[in-house]
Amino acid sequence: MAAGGSCPGCGSAALVEDAHYAQQQLVCASCGCVLAEGLLTTTYAEEEHLREVAYSQSTGQKEQLSRCLQRGIRRVQDLCKVLQLPTVFEETAVSYFQRAVQHPSFHLVSLEKKELLGGCCVFVTCRQHSWPLTMGTICSLLYAKQELFASVYLSLQKELELSVPALSLADLVKTHLNSFRLFQHAADVPAPFVEDKEKMVTRTMQIVELASETWLVTGRHPVPIVTAAAFLSWQSLQPAARLTCTFARFCKVAGVDLPPPAHLRLKELLEILLRMASQLAWLRVFKMDKKTVVKHIGDLLQHRIFLLKNAFCLEDEEERCATALGEHSPVSPPAQEEGCPAEGKRQREGGPGPLLPPCLTNPRKRLRTAAPSASDLAITGDEPISDSEIEQYLRGPEEIRAFRQAKAWP
Amino acid sequence: MDADSDVALDILITNVVCVFRTRCHLNLRKIALEGANVIYKRDVGKVLMKLRKPRITATIWSSGRVMCTGATSEEEAKFGARRLARSLQKLGFQVIFTDFKVVNVLAVCNMPFEIRLPEFTKNNRPHASYEPELHPAVCYRIKTLRATLQIFSTGSITVTGPNVKAVASAVEQIYPFVFESRK
Repeated sequence: MAAGGSCPGCGSAALVEDAHYAQQQLVCASCGCVLAEGLLTTTYAEEEHLREVAYSQSTGQKEQLSRCLQRGIRRVQDLCKVLQLPTVFEETAVSYFQRAVQHPSFHLVSLEKKELLGGCCVFVTCRQHSWPLTMGTICSLLYAKQELFASVYLSLQKELELSVPALSLADLVKTHLNSFRLFQHAADVPAPFVEDKEKMVTRTMQIVELASETWLVTGRHPVPIVTAAAFLSWQSLQPAARLTCTFARFCKVAGVDLPPPAHLRLKELLEILLRMASQLAWLRVFKMDKKTVVKHIGDLLQHRIFLLKNAFCLEDEEERCATALGEHSPVSPPAQEEGCPAEGKRQREGGPGPLLPPCLTNPRKRLRTAAPSASDLAITGDEPISDSEIEQYLRGPEEIRAFRQAKAWP
Repeated sequence: MDADSDVALDILITNVVCVFRTRCHLNLRKIALEGANVIYKRDVGKVLMKLRKPRITATIWSSGRVMCTGATSEEEAKFGARRLARSLQKLGFQVIFTDFKVVNVLAVCNMPFEIRLPEFTKNNRPHASYEPELHPAVCYRIKTLRATLQIFSTGSITVTGPNVKAVASAVEQIYPFVFESRK
């Protein structure tokens, strides 16, 4: 609002504040010229107590939809509000839901599945906009079983032919760490446990990137990896005070769940870090173990590309060098001329082995070998059947009698 | 290394499922009483009969439909199915062995390299589906062959298809794509 001043039309100083319908205006009393208009919309502070009314609620649009569809749409909208998603997501999710419910394969499913369908639509929308939402979160919000959610999600993806991009780990790290209660001083958080958020996020991202380069992420659930990486980064930022804290205690203090696979991921990460530490010149003299390597995570992450190359046989030439026993081959990295072992299992001190997924380095079951015998190959399916062969599958009459008496068959 | 067809991959068939009809009503109680190696599931109305020589488990319904699982080749499946029909004949039923059909073949194949699954999914967008939160493998569907492949990061591939030829073609088709995204 222009304070004071004179009217540009007539020069009069008689300015009056008036309201034209709902709009505030600064008007010249003598000539009626409008000097300034108020905003048509209210400010954020004024809007706090107002509720915006959606178009669908003020018009009769809702009455055209069936009650089930209305309920489903309301559920989808509530889910979006709970997750604090932008409005665009809500519209997209509702449109997917409407499309899905009209589809013949979802039209007649149970109410439980229709509710899960709403959750799946929200989930798909978030993934398409790179919003890191995990299935676990949606399932816990809907109180749904993960298997049922998985089947509904996969059939939705198939029927509506939606292309759902992969979950971005970087975004997941940021969102997951937001839920940790370690970044502010609180009554139940001891002082040495509080950490700076930016540093922890950066270091956790680096550890997660390291995990994805070393086959620890492919095929695994992402949340335990992020939790384990967060624990390692938190410990490494102040090792003196935090090395004695266990993983379980860390999760309890941070206020997050400890998923069961996280312990295994932690173990695998520490193994990779130990292998890398064995290649770092100034750490070779020390005897590293799982506790002490945490102190040097900063250095290891800084030089991780070089250390990974040296710690594992990553290049093709080095693999061929490993298989050709004792042969010299033109290998580029000068740091390792000797000590390429033949298999990953026989790992000598500091000798590089192949970088394999953990299930290949510790195989639980023996890998099947194809060995069809000659007699199997000769089967045609039309051979004559001998009576003696069939007799073994039938009970004799005495057996049947005895069985009848014993069982007292009705 | 080039993705040429000279690479010999061992495709190991682990299971062949087949069905056939006996064209007569079967009394399940009689089969359960007089047959050896049988399990009678009265609540679902079927009898499970296991053969030893071809290691096969047959599910027998009273309508005369029989499903056999556990064979390691199509010929073995027919071999076992005929033996089963003969056993039912010996039990006194007027069995006619008809409508024999192999419905599903499950095979396993090992690639000599590891596979980067996220890269593979990105390159094969509509056919490949990868949800690490649900299953560790990429699910790749070939509509023309009606085959489904599950591709693991270790290079192991599980193929299911309607017959052995479809399974072999599926492995042949997937090899170049998988080779692109190898480690």
